[in-house]
Amino acid sequence: MGSKIRAIEYYLPDNKVTNLDLLSRFSDYDFEKFESKVGIKTRYWASQHETALDLAVKACEKLFLRVDKKIIDYVIYCTQSPEYLLPTTACILQDRLGLSTNIGAIDYNLGCSGFVYGVSLAKALIESGQVENVLLVTAETYSKYLHPEDKSNMAIFGDGASATLIAVSDEDMIGDFLFGTDGSGSNKLIIKNGASKYAFDPNATLLTYGSDNHYTDNHLYMNGPEIFNFTSEYIPKFTGNLLHRNNLSIEKVDYFVFHQANAFMLDFLRKRIKAEKDQFYINLEDGGNTVSNTIPIALKRLLSDIAIDKEYIIAIVGFGVGLSWAGGIIKINNKL
Amino acid sequence: MEKQEFLKNLQEVLEVEQTLTVETNLKDLDEWDSMTAMLLIGYVSDEFGVTLTGDNIGEISTVQSVIDFIGESKFS
Repeated sequence: MGSKIRAIEYYLPDNKVTNLDLLSRFSDYDFEKFESKVGIKTRYWASQHETALDLAVKACEKLFLRVDKKIIDYVIYCTQSPEYLLPTTACILQDRLGLSTNIGAIDYNLGCSGFVYGVSLAKALIESGQVENVLLVTAETYSKYLHPEDKSNMAIFGDGASATLIAVSDEDMIGDFLFGTDGSGSNKLIIKNGASKYAFDPNATLLTYGSDNHYTDNHLYMNGPEIFNFTSEYIPKFTGNLLHRNNLSIEKVDYFVFHQANAFMLDFLRKRIKAEKDQFYINLEDGGNTVSNTIPIALKRLLSDIAIDKEYIIAIVGFGVGLSWAGGIIKINNKL
Repeated sequence: MEKQEFLKNLQEVLEVEQTLTVETNLKDLDEWDSMTAMLLIGYVSDEFGVTLTGDNIGEISTVQSVIDFIGESKFS
């Protein structure tokens, strides 16, 4: 018995923010350089009353236009923008989507490594004979965590949601996974206040980082250089180990679909991995860094753009907040 | 690497208009921002196998201070 990714849909909110829009707010920032180096032209931000769950519902409804929702017997929901502290957002999603009450539903809190984890969990649930059709949902609204004067992160992060159907299959289309965790880097990408450890502080001190960006401990903070170093130190070797685990060489992989964080960083990783440009998918111009959504969005876009005349071997690798990273090999022979 | 070559490479990689000397303070450059820092980290890592940390980036001032982080022995 195997498992297979059958379909992916995604949804980006209506509020499109271009680099020109940002330039009008931050006239001293070099958005031309940003566009050429980081590779982002537009991002989409949820409106004030729109939550990650609302985006998730839209992505799932798109999926259910071609997938019968009655077959879903388990929902895995990846978010760091939960609807409430409790209950579990996946339970609310079950109701909003009108899914059967005879299903499992869990949330898990991961960022950029989240989608890869979700595929691995879905494979495990299916191949251990517990369920047959898993709905894997990623949904994120980091824009709500950003300080209005944090231009670097505003330029990078976009909101979005994805819905992926992973199902039991005669074909064995999901390979082996590897994982990595280093909690000593937890303060490198963090929102300090507002959960159990530190309460939200209405009088939080205004802090500065990098090239004149502002934030407080109520907001998202990312130490860009440290995240860059973590990625460049760990991910190339990790990718090598992932291929080894799956008995693959670089040439055997048709596409590397990594977390779409930053075009410069992705190309830097590509060179270290010694992958060819046409093997290594970089496409974040439209949408930006949508955290756990970037890999499903990239897979959907990639498989829409190429002819399905063979079985593609794709390496998916996510890395970021935690610090947490994960990689897996998937095979695709269908439009997603 | 010769310092002259390093200065030339740095100018190209960081996409800086003015000619760099070891005394140039990188943070006084019009072009200096977090993206320049990213380019610098990438170049130094690739060329010298040396990791400039977030703290190093905070402390860097002149090109010479970058050379000091990399290690004077790697230059002729």
